[in-house]
Amino acid sequence: MSGRAGAAGTLRLLTPEEESRLFLRLGVTLAWETVRAMFMQARLRLGLVVLLSMMFWGSLFGMFLEAFSFLDALHADVTSLLFNAFFSSLMVMLVFSAGILLYGGMYCSAEARLLLTLPIRAEAIYFHKFGEALWFACWGFVLLGSPMLVAYGVVHGASWPYFVLLLPFMVSFVVIPAAVGGICCMTLVAWMTRLRLHAVSIALTVACIALLWLGWTLVSPLRINAMSAAWFERTFARLAVTEQKLLPSWWLSSGLLEAARTERDGRPSMAGVAEAVKFLALLVANAMMLQLAAGWLARAAYRRGFSQLAGEVPASRRRPLGWFDRALMNAGSASGRPLRLLLVKDLRLFRRDISQWSQFVIFFGLMGLYFVNLRSFNYNNAYASMIGFLNLAVVGLILSTFTTRFVYPMISLEGRRFWIIGLLPVHRDQIVWSKFLFSLLGGLAPCCGLVLLSDSMLGIGWPLILQHELCCLVLCMGLSGIAVGLGARMPELRESSPSKIASGFGGTLSLVISSLFIMAVVIVAAIPAHAASVSMFLTARGAAAGAPAAGFLNWAAGPWGTSTFLMAVVALGLAATFVPLFLGIRAFRRLEA
Amino acid sequence: MIEFDHVTRTYGPRTAVADLSLSIPRGELFALLGPNGAGKTTTIRMLVGLLHPSRGAIRVCGHDLVANARSAHLHIGYVPDEPSLYDKLTGREFLWFIADMFGMPRHQAGIRIEREIEHFELSEFADELAERYSLGMKQRLVFAASLLHDPDVLVLDEPMVGLDPRSVRIVKDLLAARTREGMTVFMSTHTLAMAEEMADRVGIMVRGQLRFLGTLAELREQMALETTTLEQMYLELTAPRGGGP
Repeated sequence: MSGRAGAAGTLRLLTPEEESRLFLRLGVTLAWETVRAMFMQARLRLGLVVLLSMMFWGSLFGMFLEAFSFLDALHADVTSLLFNAFFSSLMVMLVFSAGILLYGGMYCSAEARLLLTLPIRAEAIYFHKFGEALWFACWGFVLLGSPMLVAYGVVHGASWPYFVLLLPFMVSFVVIPAAVGGICCMTLVAWMTRLRLHAVSIALTVACIALLWLGWTLVSPLRINAMSAAWFERTFARLAVTEQKLLPSWWLSSGLLEAARTERDGRPSMAGVAEAVKFLALLVANAMMLQLAAGWLARAAYRRGFSQLAGEVPASRRRPLGWFDRALMNAGSASGRPLRLLLVKDLRLFRRDISQWSQFVIFFGLMGLYFVNLRSFNYNNAYASMIGFLNLAVVGLILSTFTTRFVYPMISLEGRRFWIIGLLPVHRDQIVWSKFLFSLLGGLAPCCGLVLLSDSMLGIGWPLILQHELCCLVLCMGLSGIAVGLGARMPELRESSPSKIASGFGGTLSLVISSLFIMAVVIVAAIPAHAASVSMFLTARGAAAGAPAAGFLNWAAGPWGTSTFLMAVVALGLAATFVPLFLGIRAFRRLEA
Repeated sequence: MIEFDHVTRTYGPRTAVADLSLSIPRGELFALLGPNGAGKTTTIRMLVGLLHPSRGAIRVCGHDLVANARSAHLHIGYVPDEPSLYDKLTGREFLWFIADMFGMPRHQAGIRIEREIEHFELSEFADELAERYSLGMKQRLVFAASLLHDPDVLVLDEPMVGLDPRSVRIVKDLLAARTREGMTVFMSTHTLAMAEEMADRVGIMVRGQLRFLGTLAELREQMALETTTLEQMYLELTAPRGGGP
């Protein structure tokens, strides 16, 4: 090599435009490679995601179409209130989600550590990470919001300007709460490092309480005189809280409603379009202003905040559940001790991983909240049994997402520690069994508790409650067996990220099989109760008692039929538990790490 | 080239680096040694601008790392202890990204990328995605990226981790050649043999304080021991003492 030119001689600092172009090119390359890899390696998953998204979108669209047709006939002004309530609550959620995403991307990622050592502006890194956070926030918003807005346009007979303006409105709106989330995140880290956790916890608690209060006050009057004029008036009065002219959600709602205006002959109203464009300009201007402020803040505070956060001393850990671990370790026979030790190890890892238990608490908590409020909803008592079975299916589906996301990767994650586990005087079967027990015991109490809560609120009798609890036990066993068995059968020992393991072929297969298993269990278990309802209906209509169908219905609803179907459920559960576990254990015994 | 001016860094009540004053001239290879938790990584992270000093200042080529971070970074190449790459970029794409970040002219960037690919023998896998690389391959790519812009100062944190003997030899030869040409190297390492072989001066850090600074000959003289290897002197100097600070 010839003599060194030296850094200063040939290099220069990039302009903001050059930095933006560079990050854009990086983002496009990474996105393209990710999509290409998904096409090549995870077609099943990609197909499922697209199919389920389309089904989700279609279902929402149909539901909103019905709802807007109903509301349009009732009172057109309701739409404005609903839009405001929807967008304002979404706005609050976007502030938190963008803030959390930016915190992870800007302060905890390896990429941030790399970028901060390069000669680029701090605000360029912020904008790069903001773009990622915005993408994650935006697609969820589009998936949730677009069916509602398209359905409104269709019902209202809106013309093309409304549909053309939909996307710009949604994107410019999302930028505002996301930028506020980013500003809050950087401010908290730079100036309130020690208060960070407390501040976010308090803000989240306040937001949750406000949402709960709003939900409760909307739902509680339903018990007395649902859908009456008085109820509508009270509900509108409460929703009016969200109609604040200073809120971006109001600008968005108003702009969209203006864009949907038409003349008598069906042509787009030019005055409406002009108003809509004004609201869009208001959203864009505020989004840009907030981005400028966020960029300025990043310049002033990002590097400093990163440095401060890196220097934060973690609080000394207390071990409040140490007694429980010790009790579990020492309970039972000496031969079962290795299995219990493995169980305690997984329990500790679960407790100390906030991303695992917080999702568990949030999803099961929301489910519990819905079940507690079941009595507030007006439903025909004849449907109580059916709703009970649907709730059982929902509990199973939520459990299946957890077993797929957290339990399925557990065996694979042992891969990097195989040199420890593999050399311990523990039979490999015990490792698999410990994961199964961990999943089963962890899921059993919350799921059975939720099903009991749902049935109590629905006023279902004890015989059916016991059937539901049996089904719940079968679901917990089967889902744990599927996740652990397939996890042991198809381990990815080189992968360290649980989310990547769960989203691979094996994880997707586990989710699909789990969903089919839940459907099979719930459908088979529901046959006796459904037969009883149909039989009663036919009897009430005076249908011929001697018809062959009636004979089957009477048998299915009777004790023999019920016992037979319950035995079928148990058989399904045993098959779903032990077949994958058998396959998994056999493969795990032969595994060479 | 590198100047630590009464630098202190605290983590809450704990002082990780205490009143460090150190000046490293152009063309010197400096090795920072010390036991785990001595403050080496904190010193390195302050030197590359990831951490700010609680007190004092650090300057690279006259640029303050806090007040003028971008200009300072233009002169620094950094090889961290854990190589971080974009999994979905190929090695060559990563090198282009780094070259562009340093505002390198396209034709010059192309020449230098090929030069580093050749130096670090990356050509076999330069067009594969980084997610398929082994630790050693990643480390070689990070080395290549750090030298792409011919930095005035190269900062290395445990540079030999994951490298095979041939790659270690390549790195050593390259460091020797570059320091001869005027590049300054600041290296933190536990590999005493490498420090002994390559370093012009060593610093031995214990509990945040620089307990020794100088050449190996000066260390031997200061310790007035019959022992001659750096390992023996290092162990003597860093041995735990009763009481502590």
